Amino acid sequence: MPILIEDGLAGPPGNPTLKAMFEDRKSVFVDLLNWDVPVLSGRFEIDEFDDEHATYVIVADEAGDHLGSARLLKTTRRHILGALFADLCAAPPPRGPDVFEITRFCLSRRQTACRRRSTRNALVSALVRHALCSAIATYTGVAELAWLQQILAFGWACRPLGPPVRLDCGLVGALAIDIAPETPALLAANGIWTPFAPAMPAAEAAAPVAEAA
Amino acid sequence: MFDRVDAFVRDVRDLQSEEALAAALGEIARELGFRYFALTHHVDLRASSAAIRLHNYPAGWAEWFETQSLGTSDPVHRASNVTSVGFAWSALSEMIALTAGDRQILNLARREGIGEGFTVPAHVPGEAHGSCSFACATGERFAGEHLPLLQLVGAFAFEAARRMRRIRLAKGPVALTDRQRECVMWAARGKSDWEIARILGISEDTVGEHLRHARERYGVGKRTLVAVHALFDGTIGFVDVLRR
Repeated sequence: MPILIEDGLAGPPGNPTLKAMFEDRKSVFVDLLNWDVPVLSGRFEIDEFDDEHATYVIVADEAGDHLGSARLLKTTRRHILGALFADLCAAPPPRGPDVFEITRFCLSRRQTACRRRSTRNALVSALVRHALCSAIATYTGVAELAWLQQILAFGWACRPLGPPVRLDCGLVGALAIDIAPETPALLAANGIWTPFAPAMPAAEAAAPVAEAA
Repeated sequence: MFDRVDAFVRDVRDLQSEEALAAALGEIARELGFRYFALTHHVDLRASSAAIRLHNYPAGWAEWFETQSLGTSDPVHRASNVTSVGFAWSALSEMIALTAGDRQILNLARREGIGEGFTVPAHVPGEAHGSCSFACATGERFAGEHLPLLQLVGAFAFEAARRMRRIRLAKGPVALTDRQRECVMWAARGKSDWEIARILGISEDTVGEHLRHARERYGVGKRTLVAVHALFDGTIGFVDVLRR
């Protein structure tokens, strides 16, 4: 599966993969999970954090259609855990140039359960690979506790940042995931790690960096 | 108390034996106000040596629990299959229809000294359901204020046990090839080998071969059972099977 790393968004999404991503995000977070988040033109779930500072890690199919994605936010800037959910942390939320927040972890609903699982594995692997390539030591995130066992079962080094709290959307908690050179092996032991072919030469600046998988 | 949970999470990552995990879990449960814990897969414990099972229940209750093979029929286990976050046992009757047999089990537990409890479900797609329960001794105060922390302790303890079991068994989950999966999906939709062959554009014999291999991988003899296993572990989804 091709993996795309897209840096920032300086206006309405032009490329079809990103468009499909924002549509799938609406389908998942608004239509399915009933989150109270803005929807643009009735089609795209795009909020204030979808700006030029966000990074998108995207799993696409051969034709460039969106299968799954996550949005990474810099913790040195305003981000969701720091700005909206700091109460979930027992200590101040972790911040720094090597700490990024994973938000909007999204698997397209337009695929079968089995395909969704391989997309999930590819996405988790892509996140770890991106961290190792970009000197990211820690991911943070806010998660519904209903997903916690599954997140732990990926095998990576995960830890809670504070006691979970019951909100309207369910029981939620803040998590940190520490990424180290051994993380791919931990994922592999759980059947999650999806190996990638060597990266292709980076295309020109405006185009996504594609890596064949 | 969160610092204590944070330390527990870091400690269990390095533990190597189920005995050490049981000791650590017993200790933190007690500090959070719960005398007993039980971390278990919901399977018939007599039939599955691979299942996780750690607890510090009093001897009388533990024996009953196992000889009656309560793994799959225990009302607490059944209730934890209908939720993905922790619940107090006092809410059981709102979650599942309690039978006379269930009430008898709950009474027996009480008689053996098990009081009010809290169960954290542990569902990992593709694997048997499980849970981590915490219980007071009969008559002890139920420390409701610590339930959010118990939720974390249960989840991280279950993952530690799962890691130990995986090392013990050293084998991965059942994996079907894409073609085997497609055949199983169509079989689950009630299609015959001949029909599946027409749908996929392959020979009937090939369909038979794919389904035979799928049966072997799950270690079952019937195509219905392959479908049930594949649905249970997420290899195929209900959406795929029920789609018109």
